[in-house]
Amino acid sequence: MLNIIACFKWVVDEADVKIDAKSRALLMERVGYKISDYDRNAIEEAVRLQEQHGGNVVAATVGPSTAKQCLKDALSRGPERADFINDPSFVDLEPEQTAAILATAIKAKEEYDLIICGEGSSDLYAQQVGPALAERLGIPCATCVNKLTLAESKKEIIAERKLDDGMEVVSMPLPALVTVLPDINTPRIPTLKQVLGAAKKPVDNITLNDLGQTYKPCLQTTGILAATMERRRLKFGADEKNILVIIGALLKEGVIA
Amino acid sequence: MNFNLTEEQELVRAGVREFCQKYVEPLAEKVDEEAYFPMETVKKLTEQEWTGIPYPAEYGGAGADYLTYIIVVEELSRACATTGFTLECHTSLASYPLYKFGTEEQKQKYLVPLCKGEMLGSFALTEPGAGTDAGAASTTAVLDGDEYVLNGSKMFISNSPVAGVFIIIAMTDKSKGTKGLSAFIVPGGTPGLKVGEHLNKMGIRGSVTAEVVMKDCRIPKENLLGNEGQGFKIAMMTLDGGRIGIAAQALGIAQAALDESIQYSKERVQFGKPISSFQAIQWMIANMATDVQAARFLTYHAAWCYDQGLPYSKEAAMAKLFASETAARQTNRAIQIHGGIGFIKGHKVERLYRDAKITEIYEGTSEVMRMVISGNLLR
Ligand SMILES: Cc1cc2nc3c(=O)[nH]c(=O)nc-3n(C[C@H](O)[C@H](O)[C@H](O)COP(=O)(O)OP(=O)(O)OC[C@H]3O[C@@H](n4cnc5c(N)ncnc54)[C@H](O)[C@@H]3O)c2cc1C
Repeated sequence: MLNIIACFKWVVDEADVKIDAKSRALLMERVGYKISDYDRNAIEEAVRLQEQHGGNVVAATVGPSTAKQCLKDALSRGPERADFINDPSFVDLEPEQTAAILATAIKAKEEYDLIICGEGSSDLYAQQVGPALAERLGIPCATCVNKLTLAESKKEIIAERKLDDGMEVVSMPLPALVTVLPDINTPRIPTLKQVLGAAKKPVDNITLNDLGQTYKPCLQTTGILAATMERRRLKFGADEKNILVIIGALLKEGVIA
Repeated sequence: MNFNLTEEQELVRAGVREFCQKYVEPLAEKVDEEAYFPMETVKKLTEQEWTGIPYPAEYGGAGADYLTYIIVVEELSRACATTGFTLECHTSLASYPLYKFGTEEQKQKYLVPLCKGEMLGSFALTEPGAGTDAGAASTTAVLDGDEYVLNGSKMFISNSPVAGVFIIIAMTDKSKGTKGLSAFIVPGGTPGLKVGEHLNKMGIRGSVTAEVVMKDCRIPKENLLGNEGQGFKIAMMTLDGGRIGIAAQALGIAQAALDESIQYSKERVQFGKPISSFQAIQWMIANMATDVQAARFLTYHAAWCYDQGLPYSKEAAMAKLFASETAARQTNRAIQIHGGIGFIKGHKVERLYRDAKITEIYEGTSEVMRMVISGNLLR
């Protein structure tokens, strides 16, 4: 029996973001939202472990009150229940704020063996919330996890971490927190009955008032502009002489040194 | 008035899109090129519980609304019209008459496995000599003791080579004209029932279409669907709902043509600029998008009427007429925007152009749709 909390963020679907060519401003009027990509892996992994070992999965999210739409999406993917920690002011939160809010709510009302977060969110990809949350809860944390197994004793979790210079296998006593990479699993597409059944699952609505605390930002965003890619439209032939010309062009552009 | 889909409908749409990206798009070219019937995709549709969407859970369905089903057909067809149509034929043509006219026993025996996706269904009305004039059917069903004996042949029957059960319309009393037609449930593999060759088609090439011949094909008396003489009514009511499904198929194809055109026109450079910067192309895109949106509203509205229990025959005919003609017209435009490459096999718009045409023909031609609409208005 495992009690698992899967954390997820409701983010702008980057495919819908348009860019104003002149000002490079992001045009957000017609964007849709989705569960952040790796967080879907987090939910899937929680449900997979629960199917194997029994227990409970709670999906927890922090966001503005308008993000209510995310609940059925998350619940259709298997969790029994959701924690909707929301306030109109919970917009563009910093990772540190999100972690602090999650920590307050989890301490106040959840019993857990394992917390699973995505490695990073599709919008910011700061990779901060997981480790910061573990720190605040005083539990061990493994990041970059692409395989997760419950030890036979059922008291430890074994996590395979994919690092730049190789793989590392770590074992942590429960309760623990992991942040997962997309290789860990392939999230299932919810079946029709799962989608239709999501509305019947319980949601705990947790407000800023319930948390009894305020969460101050520490960063200041001075501006967001779209990155641009300029095509040089250079044409090259395929013979020996041209290879040198290509290399010359790449050197000139600073692509190679 | 409310133009919002429900959260569930939005989630289903997102799910089907993901499903298509993973399983349908990658197969679509093979389905077309090799006239390959994607049985593996049908299996996966079953796993997603999409094979009996608008029918109640007690009959193995998902108990969702018709609009949800329509969205699934639209999205599947956007990736592969064969796949969208296979589900449409199964759900609207084969399952609906059982749901609406079947006895409890018939529903348990046939509708439940259809909805659960344990088998596919097929619907046989058209004959070599009776297309639009369905009442001219010459297939006969004669009661002989406890059995009906069916003789005759049905033409262009979709899903027939893979069907576990057929709804077959046959004449029980020639003297009564269309009132002499009856509907029968014929299990696949019944002795005397023969399915011909998979016809080599212009579009929806993977969809299996064949002739179905009955030679002293005997079925138990209790396989009569509804009453004797109800066959024409059953067929027409079935087609009314089916037309919303074909509208959705056409809509999916037209949307795909628009998607491809937007993407290509932004990438293709001529005279030093993307062709999307030319007003001629911009206007084509604007017209396409407007038609697609209008087709979508007509289609969803017809489905909404169905869900509200309102009359929907005229609305379904309008949706099918407009959506199918939109698909035919706009896939043509899409090729125009692509220029030569759009004429070459392996480019999606070339397939879309061929897949679109059938939507103006089956489940009632555009001419029939205009007859249904004007018939509703002028009576
Ligand atoms: C790929 C494919 C799949 C099909 N699947 C099925 C299926 O699963 N089950 C099934 O039962 N049938 C199926 N059909 C048959 C389809 O529904 C018929 O082809 C269609 O109804 C038209 O009939 P027809 O081909 O005999 O054309 P016809 O009726 O001969 O029509 C020829 C032309 O005359 C026009 N016309 C006919 N009568 C009139 C009139 N009174 N006024 C004005 N114009 C008229 C028609 O609109 C058309 O333009 C399928 C057909 C195809 C090609």
